[in-house]
Amino acid sequence: MPSPEPATDFEGLLRTLVEGAVDFIVVGGVAAKAQGSARYTVDLDVVYSRAPANIVRLVGALDPLQPYLRGAPPGLPFRFDAETVRRGLNFTLQTSRGDLDVLGEIAGGGTYEALRPHAEAGIVFGQPCLCLGLEKLIAVKRAAGRPKDLEAIAELEAIWEERRKRGL
Amino acid sequence: MSDLPRTPEGFVIAFPPLQGEFPFERDPVIEAYKKDVDRTLIIENLKKTPDERMRQLVTMQRFALELRRAFAGTRD
Repeated sequence: MPSPEPATDFEGLLRTLVEGAVDFIVVGGVAAKAQGSARYTVDLDVVYSRAPANIVRLVGALDPLQPYLRGAPPGLPFRFDAETVRRGLNFTLQTSRGDLDVLGEIAGGGTYEALRPHAEAGIVFGQPCLCLGLEKLIAVKRAAGRPKDLEAIAELEAIWEERRKRGL
Repeated sequence: MSDLPRTPEGFVIAFPPLQGEFPFERDPVIEAYKKDVDRTLIIENLKKTPDERMRQLVTMQRFALELRRAFAGTRD
């Protein structure tokens, strides 16, 4: 019988990106968690800067983690190198530390540079990093327009209401 | 971080305070879903630092993994 897949090492993935001096913003479920969400998430989503030097740092940081396309059959001639990242945009990866989505842009939010003014600095797993702010998280989820996000949007909006009520 | 400021009620001031009115048009579908949101969980989370919220995620992750391990042997 197959054993359960190992859980994503959120701390390890974040530390890898921070120590690699990668410019990125945490988005998605982990950003929602930082904002107070009670929902569970299984992967780490980040929007990375597509500045050439940052792409080099990104692939250098992730290289030891053997990134590979998540869900793709094994043995494809895929290499997560600077050229691949320059030619592509969004990558859903499996790594030795778990599932990681590295996104060049997101619907309703755009690129790293567009999201940067809406990101908030915080300490997450002991790592100083940027997380997407609550209002932009709601905007992005609304823009995605996926039925599966309705519960998540409702929770994020409830978080907004509870924070506002308390001056947070 | 534990040295983040708190309100007298114990809520963590982790990010810049929200300002103004709700910035989106109210969506009746989302409002319907909102009725089922457990706000007690949110309120408890707002008393935790972002780092503590993340540690909670890892605890949930370990619990989910343990459940899957426990039940993996009960299926064909």
